[in-house]
Amino acid sequence: MNRYDLIIIGAGPAGLSAAISAAKNGLSVIVFDENSKPGGQLFKQIHKFFGSKEHKAKIRGFRIGEELLKEAEELKVTVVLDAIVTGLYQDKEISVKIGEEICHYKGDAVIVATGATENMVPFEGWTLPGVIGAGASQTMMNLHHIKPGNRVLMLGTGNVGLVVSFQLLQAGCQVAALVDAAPKIGGYGVHAAKVARCGVPFYLSHTIIKAEGEDCVRGVVIGKVDSSFQLIPGTEKHFDVDTICLAVGLSPMSQLLHMAGCKMQDTPLGYVPVIDENGATSVPGIYAAGDVSGIEEASSAMIEGRIAGTKAAEYLGFLSEDAAKEITAGLELALDRLRKGMFAPENRGKKITLTDEGIPVSDSLLTRGYLDEDELDRFPGIAKGKGIHPVMECTQNIPCNPCQDACPRKCIKIGENITSLPIIDEENSCSGCGMCVASCSGQAIFLLNEDYEPGYASVTLPYEFLPLPVKGDTGMALDRSGKKVCQAEIIEVKTPKAFDHTSLLTMKVPLDMAMKARFYKSRGCSHE
Amino acid sequence: MRIEEHPILGKPEERKVIPFTYDGTPLTGYEGEPIAMALEAAGIMIHRYTKKYHKPRGVFCAIGRCTDCVMVVDGIPNVRTCITPLKEGMAIQTQYGVSAQEE
Repeated sequence: MNRYDLIIIGAGPAGLSAAISAAKNGLSVIVFDENSKPGGQLFKQIHKFFGSKEHKAKIRGFRIGEELLKEAEELKVTVVLDAIVTGLYQDKEISVKIGEEICHYKGDAVIVATGATENMVPFEGWTLPGVIGAGASQTMMNLHHIKPGNRVLMLGTGNVGLVVSFQLLQAGCQVAALVDAAPKIGGYGVHAAKVARCGVPFYLSHTIIKAEGEDCVRGVVIGKVDSSFQLIPGTEKHFDVDTICLAVGLSPMSQLLHMAGCKMQDTPLGYVPVIDENGATSVPGIYAAGDVSGIEEASSAMIEGRIAGTKAAEYLGFLSEDAAKEITAGLELALDRLRKGMFAPENRGKKITLTDEGIPVSDSLLTRGYLDEDELDRFPGIAKGKGIHPVMECTQNIPCNPCQDACPRKCIKIGENITSLPIIDEENSCSGCGMCVASCSGQAIFLLNEDYEPGYASVTLPYEFLPLPVKGDTGMALDRSGKKVCQAEIIEVKTPKAFDHTSLLTMKVPLDMAMKARFYKSRGCSHE
Repeated sequence: MRIEEHPILGKPEERKVIPFTYDGTPLTGYEGEPIAMALEAAGIMIHRYTKKYHKPRGVFCAIGRCTDCVMVVDGIPNVRTCITPLKEGMAIQTQYGVSAQEE
């Protein structure tokens, strides 16, 4: 029997953060993970994170993973990989399968940070090779540099479905359509808009009827459903695809907590342990952090991990009650700030019709994935101006504010509440540096100059595809729906290191296209 | 299909190319990558056939959870190819039920 002050199960964002917090306070910590590499799902997250500075906003997920690993290493946290924890018992003893051996460890405290597993949905042909989880396609593309397919249909428009669809486009795959049985897009509108402007259609109130093919997927048939999710006959639609990706939600992997005798409950966030605000379960000394205690984002998982690690240190007498409180109070505030706005856990499943500012939300964004031109005027970030100025197509209350910090001239204001919509401060004038465009994790900020040349405007947009156009290239400008609207000439391409692989393309378009053109397609480019 | 260059991740690190066999056919892959990825790169989708109904199965979760991608590797059945690293000279076989031979 091996003894440690603290055993942590899971080396993802929550587990590693917990380990760091505990080790800083002098606890001997051991972390087990069933995978052969630590970091959980962070290394598959190649997009820039939301939130504010304290939540590591505008940093790509895999870089956050690298930072966490480095910190854990410096603190000499032991991480045992390829180690499957098979049992957690009430006296905080665990059994772990390491290789072909079952080992026993005992901790004085245990933090369970086992994360979540993907949900699946059965339909005719769903077991065919070529039907994969959205997580599987992320694993293939972003860890192993493999394209999961040539032409993909995505089921599910939550953030996972939206983000992975964009990543598929980045990897050079075609995305045939995004399909969801729900009548509204579930994830952030800005994520949907990134995909829509590449020309990917959204089919809401639709579901998969069957996957076609004998040996592997050769096509898919979808159909429209009514308000009680029953198929409407005669609405079938076929797509030629070789891959079907399922992004239909996540379920907490809470079995170990259940096994340990922790009080459990069924919630909209999954079957989860009953915990207090610090992650303490009903069993003294056993804590839960991250998705295992309710599905959220990696950003909140990291904070929950730090809180649990701190509380474990207090529980074992390494920290006084006051010292622990001082640490957790700040963390709880940071967590609160992430859990505000339209996508707050308490709003899950609710129909939101107005923003916090009282502005009607865009229906087009929620059903087609992009803002309708007629809806633009009512949002404070979308303003016309003289000379170069930002246009912020950010219309939902999501917890994010890097644009405010990015602007060196303080043109952009969000304020204390990070879920507020960005507004333009007319007092200060834009220099056209593009920092806001590159810092926007939702790629929703554009720079416009309606006075570029008589009869022509310039539009600067974020671009994360290959091949990267060069100055002088001509191609087509696409509108928010991905439709070609006019000829465009690339007049500038910026790729400084500070933008972290988000290039800024500036294209020249006819003046009347300034509020329409939002994407650029080179001649012979495949992502459509 | 391999991604030669990615807009965010750049080019993959140089890796050692090694030989292995798939149902007796010689193929190559990168040392240490999951077996399933080497097969995917070679365009192989079917990893096994179910015992009762003889239905094809391939990669599904890619993280070792669902066990749909198991194959016979060096004579051992039920090896999760999505998390088992590829080694030089490995003999990888389609799995029928729980064996390498069609029953």
